[in-house]
Amino acid sequence: MEKILEIKNLSKSYNGIPALKNVSISVRAGEIHGIVGANGSGKSTLMNIISGNPVIRETGGYQGEIIYRGSRLQVKNCAEIIRLGVGMVHQEFALIPDLTIGENIKLGREETCRFTDRLFGRKYSFIDRRRNNEIASQVLKRLGLDVDVGVKIIDLSTNTKQFVEIAREVARSDLKLLLLDEPTAVLSKSDALKLLEVLVGMSRGGLGILFISHRLEEVQYICDRVTVFRDGEVVSRYKKGEINVTKLAGDMVGHQVYKANAQKRSVKATPVLCFKKFSVKMPGEEIKSLDLTVYEGEILGLTGLSGHGKLALGYGLMGMYPVAGEVIFKGHKLDRMNARTNIMKGIYVLPDDRQALGILPEHSLAENIIFTGDQVKYLFSRNPLGFIDWKGAYGYVEQAVRDFEIKCSSPKQRVKELSGGNLQKVCIARALTVNPQLLFVAEPTRGIDIAAKEKILKMLIDINRSKGTTIVIATSELDELKRVCDRIAVLVKGRVFKILYPDSPDLEFGLALAGEEGANYEGIRQDEELPEGLPEDLCG
Amino acid sequence: MREYVRMRNYLKDYLRIYAGNYRIKPPQIIILIFLLTLLILARVLEMDLVILFNESLVKLVMNGVLVLSLLPMLNAGAGMNFGMPVGITGGLVALCISVNFRLTGFTGFFMSLLLSLVVCGLFGWVYGLLLNRVKGREEIAGTFIGFSIIPLMNYFWTLAPFQNRQMLYPIGGQGLRPKISLDPYFSKVLDNFCLLKIGGFDIPLGLFAFYALICLFLYLFFRTRIGRATLAVGENEAFARLSGIDIAKIRLIAIALSTMLAGIGICVYAQSYGFIQLYDEPLSMAFPAISAVLIGGSTGRRAWIFEAVLGTYLLQTIYLLTVPLANEILIPELTEILRTFITYSIILYALLYRNRRGIVH
Amino acid sequence: MKDRELRDKLFNIEHLVPAVFLLLSILAWKFSGLSGTFVINQVLTRFIRDGILVLSLIVPVVAGMGLNFAIIVGAMTAQTALLFVINFQVAGARGIVLVLVLAVLLSVLVGFTIGYVLNRVKGKEMIVTIVIGFLANSIYQLIFLAGFGSFIPVVNKEIILSRGIGVRNAVDLGMYRNTIDKLWLLRLGEIEIPLFMILVVLLFAGILYYLLHTRFGQQVKAVGSGSEKAELAGINVDLLRIKVIVLSTVLAALGQLAYLQNIGMFDVYTAHLNVDIISCAALLAGGASIKSAKIRHALTGIFLFHTLFIVSPQAGQNLFHNAALGEYFRSFVAYGTIAFALVINIKKEEKDQEQG
Repeated sequence: MEKILEIKNLSKSYNGIPALKNVSISVRAGEIHGIVGANGSGKSTLMNIISGNPVIRETGGYQGEIIYRGSRLQVKNCAEIIRLGVGMVHQEFALIPDLTIGENIKLGREETCRFTDRLFGRKYSFIDRRRNNEIASQVLKRLGLDVDVGVKIIDLSTNTKQFVEIAREVARSDLKLLLLDEPTAVLSKSDALKLLEVLVGMSRGGLGILFISHRLEEVQYICDRVTVFRDGEVVSRYKKGEINVTKLAGDMVGHQVYKANAQKRSVKATPVLCFKKFSVKMPGEEIKSLDLTVYEGEILGLTGLSGHGKLALGYGLMGMYPVAGEVIFKGHKLDRMNARTNIMKGIYVLPDDRQALGILPEHSLAENIIFTGDQVKYLFSRNPLGFIDWKGAYGYVEQAVRDFEIKCSSPKQRVKELSGGNLQKVCIARALTVNPQLLFVAEPTRGIDIAAKEKILKMLIDINRSKGTTIVIATSELDELKRVCDRIAVLVKGRVFKILYPDSPDLEFGLALAGEEGANYEGIRQDEELPEGLPEDLCG
Repeated sequence: MREYVRMRNYLKDYLRIYAGNYRIKPPQIIILIFLLTLLILARVLEMDLVILFNESLVKLVMNGVLVLSLLPMLNAGAGMNFGMPVGITGGLVALCISVNFRLTGFTGFFMSLLLSLVVCGLFGWVYGLLLNRVKGREEIAGTFIGFSIIPLMNYFWTLAPFQNRQMLYPIGGQGLRPKISLDPYFSKVLDNFCLLKIGGFDIPLGLFAFYALICLFLYLFFRTRIGRATLAVGENEAFARLSGIDIAKIRLIAIALSTMLAGIGICVYAQSYGFIQLYDEPLSMAFPAISAVLIGGSTGRRAWIFEAVLGTYLLQTIYLLTVPLANEILIPELTEILRTFITYSIILYALLYRNRRGIVH
Repeated sequence: MKDRELRDKLFNIEHLVPAVFLLLSILAWKFSGLSGTFVINQVLTRFIRDGILVLSLIVPVVAGMGLNFAIIVGAMTAQTALLFVINFQVAGARGIVLVLVLAVLLSVLVGFTIGYVLNRVKGKEMIVTIVIGFLANSIYQLIFLAGFGSFIPVVNKEIILSRGIGVRNAVDLGMYRNTIDKLWLLRLGEIEIPLFMILVVLLFAGILYYLLHTRFGQQVKAVGSGSEKAELAGINVDLLRIKVIVLSTVLAALGQLAYLQNIGMFDVYTAHLNVDIISCAALLAGGASIKSAKIRHALTGIFLFHTLFIVSPQAGQNLFHNAALGEYFRSFVAYGTIAFALVINIKKEEKDQEQG
């Protein structure tokens, strides 16, 4: 069979942090090639490179070779790659909100009047709206969807948007290669099945398909070949017949030998914080009607694939996004999600994006550390106007610098000059100024070198053990959670899917992340009923 | 000995943060070259540089307070205050009331300042509420709020029941004159207060003291708890929100403060100039002030007192030098054209440069 | 729920603003005591004078770039073309054609530059176009006050100031005055309808309508709705935005030529001032917003805004015995409409983002 796409030794790094390392894969005509991997395994980077996303060029391009239909691919933008016959189904949808379904499906390929075609050329020719809509609704019917194509995208449900996104590519007659990024993530099983059948039909017609999904059973069901990514590298490849959900899940998570940092212990189940039907409207990381209890004095891990809501919990408590539902902290209901009042009550949240939310880059180290204590609890100042008592403040800061081994030239150094690990230490030091009883930490070790990682994890354990601070860590670094946590909650689609323990087997984590209940999975057709903990209304 | 090393390290850091931080950028280089050329030309044309220097000192303070008034808003992340006419008209109301009651000398001047604070506080509060609705686009909204308040205040100038005949149109017309002389009241009270004469040089010590007072006030403001919160909001709003700061309140305070300072600024300007200028006059005053702070080295996202002072002095000196030079080459309109050209190209440069650095707004 | 939808539909900005303008116009007209025919004649004149200028604003709004205050630069390029042709004394039809060609060429060039600049300040286009307008004005003055006679050779001595450098404040357009306004002049009683020019304005409206319904127009709408999504959908956003600004600038230049030939007198340094503000206000008065503008907004907006503009000084005179108050009122209306639109729209935008 003809190779449509061949990628040889592809590497890409963002600011020195490698995202893809020497990846080689190929897609043949009439084949569905599946790609499986956890967060940060490089799947999206691969998609972005092939689709010509400007992000890649802005961050310094890539190394390696991509051969598309026999010639080397060198595109500057998405427009060129589309012209070459490559279609792309984006996870976040490339749909224009203010245009109708019909307009979106035919965007850039509108049917035009023949008369004006000849007069002004196709680009400036009058659009035949009726014919466009007819074609669009025919395509949607083929996908089994019967909607008015005159409705604007902004008024559609996510489910329908996904179908429109796919219909746009299906409607193309010049399609040679189709890239699908998590096309079934938001669909119910029955809708997903419908879609998969259409894909299989299309590939039989000679189309090459690159299929990214974390629904392992779908991958097993439709793919001719599967490549598993982990940490930017290809870890295994399977052919049709060898593909097995359990093996995929195991490869995705990987087997790492590590020694536990935290002593295993049993924590008394006295709740300190209860979420009841808690929802957070954080775009891209939504939490929907979550129930979770955090016990006093424990370290709780939150994990899940990106987009499933693990980051939103802390931000929701600080009132950064609109919330709904009930939260009970130490027996009292929190009536308003307001950062100031909740900090006063003893909750503190350290953000995942330190550069954007965690520091004042132009301020000094000392000013960063004392900021919250100064502003919320009026520490470090003596008079009503709030001029800082620098002697006391520096005393405190120097103590923190020594305790946490923050590497800096002096407390007056500008904080943006510090490295990632030291920034995280500054953030933690700032949290401790307000003496929180409950500390939320998101992605504490992202972008930090190994040595500093260990220190930060140790710091968190120390704080927990010595001060009795309850800590909730939200991260996709599973092995770290296993080392420090007492319990680990896996989130799927904005809800707690399963609560596991550090000694639970890797396989169980892999399956839980993918939203699969057990290891003995039989395949897609029998599974019309839903796994426990994933109520129906989500899948409608 | 260890103490000494520590002190030395502190001092080094201090210098690096507050002085090493200051870098000369392309616009300042161009402005400096331009200024030098003008100075050489002035020398060649045998103009009296001492008189020019004396005048430049007065011009610095005359416009300086207006420039300083930009700082609270700029540092709170509410952008360059293109809506400065709001504060200026507030100050003009205060001046008119003082003149109406024929208050003279320092009584008149300080009464104007006091009234300015009241009127501009009110104006600034409303203006702040409006700008809080348009977060991220304060500049364009501010421009048009500033434009709209001018005709609105024209009603006030025309219809308000002022009594002092020296303020009203002499015959026929209704309402206040466009240009009211302050000569009988408090023209140049600050300029002439403690005027030090050394040889040909006139150093207006009183004027400087007042200017220094305003600078000191701002310096201290940014060191209070609210001032620190203001800087934090301007630098990283999301961080500030996560740290429990009421963003809307802080911005409101900063905008009101900017407006009040603009009111004070126009009082200082008027006493130096000797006239109150009403009607459409405040319309274009925001632009030179903004370009001054940019020339001083501000990036258009935050600005320090030093940058405001330096920028005002450079820009006003250039303005001052262009007048006699344009007259010399027989195209007097050239002064005004060059002024606007400099002003707007600096602002445009800053707008482009600021966004290119990709700071998310 | 149904009632609320109905209420939203009836009382949204698109209908509310024109309704307020209509009400104010009628009130002001009543107080002004001007005759209906006078007002209608005046408004028709304004329609053919300002029509194309207002239309030139539509495409940038649709492309999500907001109100393009830099149309004033387009107006200046038209005036530049005109002045050069007058200076080199090209008369008659040849002159008119030359002016058109020069104006289009210059405005394409300038539009390209502005488009390039605006691509670097995405999301802040409006404030930048305002500053560009001001800056261009000082460059324009520099060229014609200081450049003419010193760097640029003067052929036509009549337009130069007595000192030999700089163009006079007013240049007569005798040879071009009302050349096409009087074509097909229709009289209905006292009302004069310059049919030809109305058709010209409508023709431009038609061209815009057509353009917005081509693949190009579809791309413009897509970019206006979400530029990142449009980029993913295969549209070269930067290039498209440049094209949009070029189109807008060229239309503005043509619009300014129509404006000048109607007035017949050319105030070199003031004719273009406020062209941007008045056109924007007129567009908004028709119910457009900084996020969406349709051709009907432009056409109705001109009528509504200029009716108020014409009658308010006289109304001020009659009400307060002071015509100046009417003047203030109309400049307040012009600036205030834009300020209002900005405050309302940006707020709405934020809300949408929260929901999205």
